Amino acid sequence: MNFHVGAPAVKIAVCIKRTPDSESRFRIAASGAAIDEAGLKFDMDDFAGYAVEAALQLNEKAGGGETVVYALGPDSVQESLRKAMSMGADRAVQLKTDTVPADGIAVAKALAAELKSGGFDLILFGKHAFDSSAGVVGTAVAELLGLPGVTAASQLSVAGGKGAARRELEGAAELVEFPLPAIVTIDEGVARPRYPSLKGIMAAKKKPLESKPAQLGPVRVTVQRAELPPERPAGRILGEGAAAVPELVRLLQTEAKVL
Amino acid sequence: MANVLVFAETRGGDVRKVALEAVTAARALADATGGGEVHAILAGPAGVASRAQQLGQYGADLVLVAESPALAQFARESLAATVADRTKAGAYRAVVLGFSAQGRDLGPRVAARLDAPIASDVTEISAAGDRMTVKHPGYANKVMLTLSITGSPVVLSVRPSAFTAKESPRNARVETLQLSPAGGATVTVTQVVEGAKGRPDLGEASIIVSGGRGLKAAENFKLIEDLADAFGNAAVGATRAVTDDGWRPHSDQIGQTGRQVSPQLYVAVGISGAIQHLAGMRTSKTIVAINKDKEAPIFKVADYGIVGDVLEVVPALTAAVKDARKGH
Amino acid sequence: MSAASGVFLLVLTVGAGFFALNVQRLVRYLRLGVPENRTDHPLQRTKNVLVIGIAQKKIFRDPVAGPMHALIFWGFMVLTAGTVEILVQGLFPSFSYRLLLPDVLYQGYSASQDVFALLVIGAVAFALYRRLFLHPARLEGDDLEHKDAIIILSMIMGLMVTLILATAYLLAADPAAFGPEKIVSRPLAGFFASRMTAESALAAYRVFWWAHVLLILTFLNYLPYSKHLHVASSLINVYFSNTSGPGQKGVMRYMDLEADVEKFGADDVEDLTWKNLLDGYSCTECGRCTAACPANITGKPLSPRKIIVNTRQRLMEKAPVVTGDRMEFLQPALLHGEGAAAGATTVEEVLGHRLLDTYITEEELWACTSCRACVTECPVSIDQLDVINQLRRNLVLTESRFPEELQPVFQSLERNGSPWAFQAADRGAWAAGLDIPTMAEMQARGQRPDILFWVGCMGSFDDRAKKITAAFARIMQACGINFAILGQEESCHGDPARRMGNEYLYQVLAKGVIETLDRYEVQTIVTHCPHCFHQIGNEFPQLGGNYEVVHHSTYIERLLQEERVPLRTEEGRKLTVAYHDSCYLGRYNDVYDAPRESMKRALPVITLVEPERSKDRGLCCGAGGGRMFMEERTGKRINTERTEELLATGADAIAVACPFCMTMMTDGVKANGADVPVYDIAEVVAGQLRA
Repeated sequence: MNFHVGAPAVKIAVCIKRTPDSESRFRIAASGAAIDEAGLKFDMDDFAGYAVEAALQLNEKAGGGETVVYALGPDSVQESLRKAMSMGADRAVQLKTDTVPADGIAVAKALAAELKSGGFDLILFGKHAFDSSAGVVGTAVAELLGLPGVTAASQLSVAGGKGAARRELEGAAELVEFPLPAIVTIDEGVARPRYPSLKGIMAAKKKPLESKPAQLGPVRVTVQRAELPPERPAGRILGEGAAAVPELVRLLQTEAKVL
Repeated sequence: MANVLVFAETRGGDVRKVALEAVTAARALADATGGGEVHAILAGPAGVASRAQQLGQYGADLVLVAESPALAQFARESLAATVADRTKAGAYRAVVLGFSAQGRDLGPRVAARLDAPIASDVTEISAAGDRMTVKHPGYANKVMLTLSITGSPVVLSVRPSAFTAKESPRNARVETLQLSPAGGATVTVTQVVEGAKGRPDLGEASIIVSGGRGLKAAENFKLIEDLADAFGNAAVGATRAVTDDGWRPHSDQIGQTGRQVSPQLYVAVGISGAIQHLAGMRTSKTIVAINKDKEAPIFKVADYGIVGDVLEVVPALTAAVKDARKGH
Repeated sequence: MSAASGVFLLVLTVGAGFFALNVQRLVRYLRLGVPENRTDHPLQRTKNVLVIGIAQKKIFRDPVAGPMHALIFWGFMVLTAGTVEILVQGLFPSFSYRLLLPDVLYQGYSASQDVFALLVIGAVAFALYRRLFLHPARLEGDDLEHKDAIIILSMIMGLMVTLILATAYLLAADPAAFGPEKIVSRPLAGFFASRMTAESALAAYRVFWWAHVLLILTFLNYLPYSKHLHVASSLINVYFSNTSGPGQKGVMRYMDLEADVEKFGADDVEDLTWKNLLDGYSCTECGRCTAACPANITGKPLSPRKIIVNTRQRLMEKAPVVTGDRMEFLQPALLHGEGAAAGATTVEEVLGHRLLDTYITEEELWACTSCRACVTECPVSIDQLDVINQLRRNLVLTESRFPEELQPVFQSLERNGSPWAFQAADRGAWAAGLDIPTMAEMQARGQRPDILFWVGCMGSFDDRAKKITAAFARIMQACGINFAILGQEESCHGDPARRMGNEYLYQVLAKGVIETLDRYEVQTIVTHCPHCFHQIGNEFPQLGGNYEVVHHSTYIERLLQEERVPLRTEEGRKLTVAYHDSCYLGRYNDVYDAPRESMKRALPVITLVEPERSKDRGLCCGAGGGRMFMEERTGKRINTERTEELLATGADAIAVACPFCMTMMTDGVKANGADVPVYDIAEVVAGQLRA
């Protein structure tokens, strides 16, 4: 382990979301406006997992500091908060709501209200969550709190009251610097989430988990309908040998539209 | 009748394709809601004003040009403030931008500053009265969500390539726009690293060409490289057998124990499709398989398959892809 | 008491006393280990001592070293009787077994001392020759180990020579001292008598008698400082070894995960049981385990012998410090290890070390395929795998250290109930159109099947294995078996997680499966995966799941035996088949014949050929112990090595009875550039079904 002795300890908040496993086969609920959750396995969202890991590594490098995890939603999110604590987060806060609205700004307001007075040096989010795939909340919280915000960082470091990050652009990358406190949303690549040890799982049971009502903003975006995309057509064998190549290229152009 | 504001993204002084798509989407929205105007903000370093008529070509009635040396880099806070201030001043029904690296940063900022609802990565837009309805693929494209949005204005970021940029020429008026100050602490760009000349990372590539033991020898991997080159910016992957044999570095391995990828196009060459490999690429959007054994499990997951000797089929495909792209 | 007797008494007291103190010390070290009851099944334990210990059953697995060792061992047993007589004579010179035994018996005994001494000399000479000139690979240790072995062999040689010489000189001085039974020493005595007076011969006798006695006591006191401690501890070790029979012998230790402990699994000697530590005392570094280890054979860093030797090394380093011992001053040979430099000179250094990392590396532990070849080979019933498993548990449960490629496996097991990220919804996809009901469907109709067909993750998701699944289903359908599957309600039972040290995940998954099975009141299960077979049948009882589980090889053989399988009457293909034994079927469960018999019964024209290593010596395919999910970057691939052996038989086809072996052998055949098909035994049988 690369140990930076003397790096200042930072207090970090990580906001996580609980989402269904991405490998699941989804069905639409009877309401027609949501997925059917029966039989689905839920877990901390993958990007949230990267964010938690990034926070823990920053604390470990500094040899101190604190990581507090936040999640907005019903009591089931407590399981994900416990998971974050089993990875090493120090404590957790649930902002309780019956459901998580599709309105990212409404959620951002609830989190901003809670995080404003937390005294955090750094607030991390996942780049986006698997279910909504919108990527609104983190960057919106930065604006609401008037803090520097970096969207979708693939590298992150903190030193001397400043942060540095890398963002992937289309075909290029941007290196940025920013003063702390700041908000960063985390892309794949920052850190692979650690696997909680049984020791960590046991310890997490004893860590504090606070639950309080969320102060959601007005909800102006709602899911009206959820549909499954058309089934992927069965694969076909186009033919044998090089003779089948023209047909393949035609289909890649006209049907798959990748050429 | 309502006007729509577009943030037309530029890079290196050029208007990006996704900006034209955003103008097209905004044009359609304005037309559908009683024929309002489309205003586009064109911001960049000195000289960017010369691109104004390009936006008019695609349907912008008014181009608001902000030129500043500060815009040589992505000045996110200042741009967000500029868009938000203009939106407030102009009473727009919607702000449209692309769901690009810039747009996914600016969209939430503008929405938060305006206290406006936002929908990201939308593929269809319609409006009726004070209700806006958009389609947005959620759950990593596995579920199509239809979102209903109340309130005005609405911030919309459009999925790249979802709206085909369509010409709708008009003689756009051009006005100068003052850049709003960022206000408060900001993020500073210290460097832009241009993409390596080599291949993209497997995790980011939209096309991956992958080879297996069916290639018979390490030197035949050249065929895979050539095909990847023909596709343009494609990455090269391999099966575990191939990386274990040292034909390719371990970092190229796709599968359960290697990288898990889901590009737009995955071309599996000489790969039989063992469970270990399928676990790493099954979620690719379009899968092409080339294998001599027509019973190979890879054909079960492939959209298009060719049965044949890879040493014969791949060079033919490489030539055909080159031709197809030349005509593009 | 004569002056000589007095001196002897003093020498004996010092020698025996010092030995007793050392025994006490070694027992004190053992007590550092975790307590464990090993006194149950006294009859089985006694039988093990007789068969494995006294009769040297496992020693004979090596056709060269076997007889050599057995000869020395039996020689020792016989000569120990003589040693007792000699020691008593030291105190009471007129004592002789002749006073106690009938003449015939006494003469037999007396002759045995002479004859066995000579036989042992021969065997020891061969042993020395092997060590000094032949250098068998499995005996290659470090200098200390080598020196230790030479010292011991020389001492044994010395004991035998002095015994014979003492007897011969006594006979030279007094030809009537023994009868005609001394067939070795009497000719020698004749030679001596012709060259010296009776007085000189008697003096020489005393010299050699004393030399013999002193050597005995030296030998005794050398043992506690030498790897040859096994002379004293092996029989004890065999007595306390695992008594479980087929199936149970390979079951992993139950773990209480609710226990309020800081550490799960083992990272140092105190976390191992006293029996694990006794294994260390009993290892004489013969290397049979390492010679049979698939990881070691193919160039991985794992050596089961090193696991045990280094465990002992760590015990010898740490125990004196912890117990405040003052008797380890001889820098004992037991402190030597393999590849790990102990070299601790201060208490801080000793306490800074631990078994894991300092003596046994992560890389060694993850190289293990859990094939049990080492355990099967060990002549003194040492359990190397138990130590590996306990260390792996600590790595995962306490320290969260494991090859990075295992994280997606654990995550997928958690989320999808399968080591691969496939959806449970697709589990039953193979059965589409085959008219196979699920348990849920049968229950809805108010019916209950006789048999649950447990398909397993490979059988459900792997394209090649799905064909095995279908073939076995076809056989059962043809026999009119009333069976059902769980379909999407099936989930991994957690065995891969358990083998990889993730006991927590294992118990979560296993308890879930038990709940499902109990909900349907399942009693009998068949499966074509040996890992599912072993786990559900043999390890679920630890968690309260009790079912009769039958592997498809046994089940098919039974059906064939009962003539319930409608077979074609025409001859079929005259295949020459090499069958590859699955470890979890074979060494774990002693199922060797059923797969072979099934093929022979279904296809009588088949010719079965055996590879060089087969049945309980069979080489693992390389997939066990979670290796299926790990990279294999060091050395040769195990499946390539194994496939080469199978191809060397010249067979037309390779047969397996495990879907994991199927994958490894199929890949191995491809890697060898061969064009030999690999079949599961169910496919061979299904191929003979009447249409």
